[in-house]
Amino acid sequence: MIAVLHGTIAGTVAAGLLLAPAEPPPLQRPDSSPAPTTAPDQIDPGDTTDPASERATEGAPGSAPGLADSAADSAADSAADGSADGSADGSADGSADGASTDAAGSTTEGATEPNGEATGPSSEGLTEPAASSESAAESAADGDAPAGDGDQEVLRVATERSGPPYYTEGDLAELRERHEVEIDSPPPPPAVRWRCLIADPTCRHSFEVQTMGGYALRARQGDVSRGTVDRWHSARAQYDFWVSLPALTETVGKSRFTRMSLGPKGGVTFSDTGDLWGNLGIATRYWLGRGRWAPSIEITSALSFKLATREARTDADSEAFRMQRGPVGFQADVGFGLGGFGAIVVGGQYDSPLAREDVPEEYRLVSSGMFYVGFRGNILWGGPAAAAVAAHASTRAVNRP
Amino acid sequence: MTPLLASLLLLQPPAGDAPLESASPEPVPAEDGVTAKAGDEDGEYGPFFQAEAPSDTSFPTQPRKGKGKGSGKAPRLSVGEGAFCFVDGSHCKASLLADATVAAGIRAPASNKGPDMPYAHFGFRGGLVIRPLMFKRKAWHPWGVGVVGGWTLGTGSVTAEASDSGITQAETERTPATRIALVNQLWLNQKTHAPHIDFSIGGVRSPVLTSGVSLIGTHAEVAFGWGGWGSVYAAGDFLDRDTRVSFGFRAHGIAAGPLVALAILGAALGGAL
Repeated sequence: MIAVLHGTIAGTVAAGLLLAPAEPPPLQRPDSSPAPTTAPDQIDPGDTTDPASERATEGAPGSAPGLADSAADSAADSAADGSADGSADGSADGSADGASTDAAGSTTEGATEPNGEATGPSSEGLTEPAASSESAAESAADGDAPAGDGDQEVLRVATERSGPPYYTEGDLAELRERHEVEIDSPPPPPAVRWRCLIADPTCRHSFEVQTMGGYALRARQGDVSRGTVDRWHSARAQYDFWVSLPALTETVGKSRFTRMSLGPKGGVTFSDTGDLWGNLGIATRYWLGRGRWAPSIEITSALSFKLATREARTDADSEAFRMQRGPVGFQADVGFGLGGFGAIVVGGQYDSPLAREDVPEEYRLVSSGMFYVGFRGNILWGGPAAAAVAAHASTRAVNRP
Repeated sequence: MTPLLASLLLLQPPAGDAPLESASPEPVPAEDGVTAKAGDEDGEYGPFFQAEAPSDTSFPTQPRKGKGKGSGKAPRLSVGEGAFCFVDGSHCKASLLADATVAAGIRAPASNKGPDMPYAHFGFRGGLVIRPLMFKRKAWHPWGVGVVGGWTLGTGSVTAEASDSGITQAETERTPATRIALVNQLWLNQKTHAPHIDFSIGGVRSPVLTSGVSLIGTHAEVAFGWGGWGSVYAAGDFLDRDTRVSFGFRAHGIAAGPLVALAILGAALGGAL
């Protein structure tokens, strides 16, 4: 193949020199490799019945036929311009016809099968085996390029098609039918509102400000000797920030959609008596549709850790909002949402005990936790923010055992 | 390429002494005046630094390629097409850092000062980062550097020291800490909301254990962020006989601000404050 290409370019250079004016500029080869000497004579110039030629000239869309035509026209023009050499008519006709045929034909076949069957007005020139580019350049530089109908040596140059598409419309139609591909892409989905500040399947990334307000059934380890558990009804308000990254996407036509998002999240959670936890974890959303109000399943899990409380640790302590340490626990919930606007969430939280023997007894903590049901969503449309603040405010009325 | 070159040679009229174009590659001035150097693409090679591969498909909400407002080249919430960004981005030459954080970890005093205890804090941070190698040249570069300062309020300390008279216990309710650090950023690609790794080394001033005396220690942190919106990090404060290691999450102030406001409002209405 490389030899074929070198042969092609060498022949092209030679032909260009033949068609150039009497004193062409000095040519510089693109590469430093010596020019092949077998180029022009191995080109089959006149196989006009080549099937590839028919395909290029008839069926193939794109640039191949156009290139061939333009090459022929340009060759004819160049040859006509070269009439300063006194070879206007014959050279122009022969070059135009030959170039057209070669451009539409197959270079590979002609170059790889030098069978000497070339006929027509160009066969004389092509039977010269030593017509290398250097010799052609020298002869062209000397101004004695062959011309005329009889003694003229005309080099025919075959040009490959420039590249894809290799398929006709018929081929593509068959391909579409085979793979059940629609001819036209579906129309793009409507533009998303809120510039992806509220999650949407059409968004690649979403940075969501989420709040949740809901009911919580809280529990705490009681008297171990009697095996009791303290339970009480309370409320839970959570304020989180989600970074939703596209973990799984799908393509419809030329549009991509997020099927599942996954990313880190963090925030704080409040409950009664000023209990405050921080949390950092992972939020997942799996979209069940592609519309603005597409349903989704939300799953979050996070490490949770106590930050503050109003609860007095001892009877001597006054009730005041203060920092409180606690070992890392966890929380997890699952929700069913609509379009990133809001979701009904069910989950639970567990606070690990701090009961190591090396910790002084007054600093030990019992295990505790809660189950909760709430409404969580993006604060931008107001509903989830109101729900969270309302739930937070309702903790004032909680009677804690 | 070779047939195309051949066609050009065939069709090209002779033009004086002009050399062939393919013989010697010359810098090609782009439309915006930036000259591309042959063989030097500003080091944007490697697994993380390559630009996004062209694709026929895109998210409907994805900004268009090109230049101009809304085309995706100018980072969102920026001025001067990335000369200064209020939210850090991969194409920002200078960016404001302003965020809130929560973190949890462990507080490890010296062995004779008491047991390891859980530690958690919340806080705020601000700073400025620049991309020095993007000022002179318009080309993208992954390195950024800046200064950050922050304040956190952490859980208190517990000490339990054994002596001849018995065990002496002490406790503090809270642990404030102030930090100043030099941050080095390594942006991992050029996409919108690109991931980046931030390394911070600096100092921390905070009360040591239950002494009530504030000392200056070393602060170190490595963070992994997405654009300027959020990041997770692991940090350590190393003071005299008082080491705190924490793992946290950080959110930009534009997002964290409303959350903090709502939380304070709720806490006030709920009687926590």
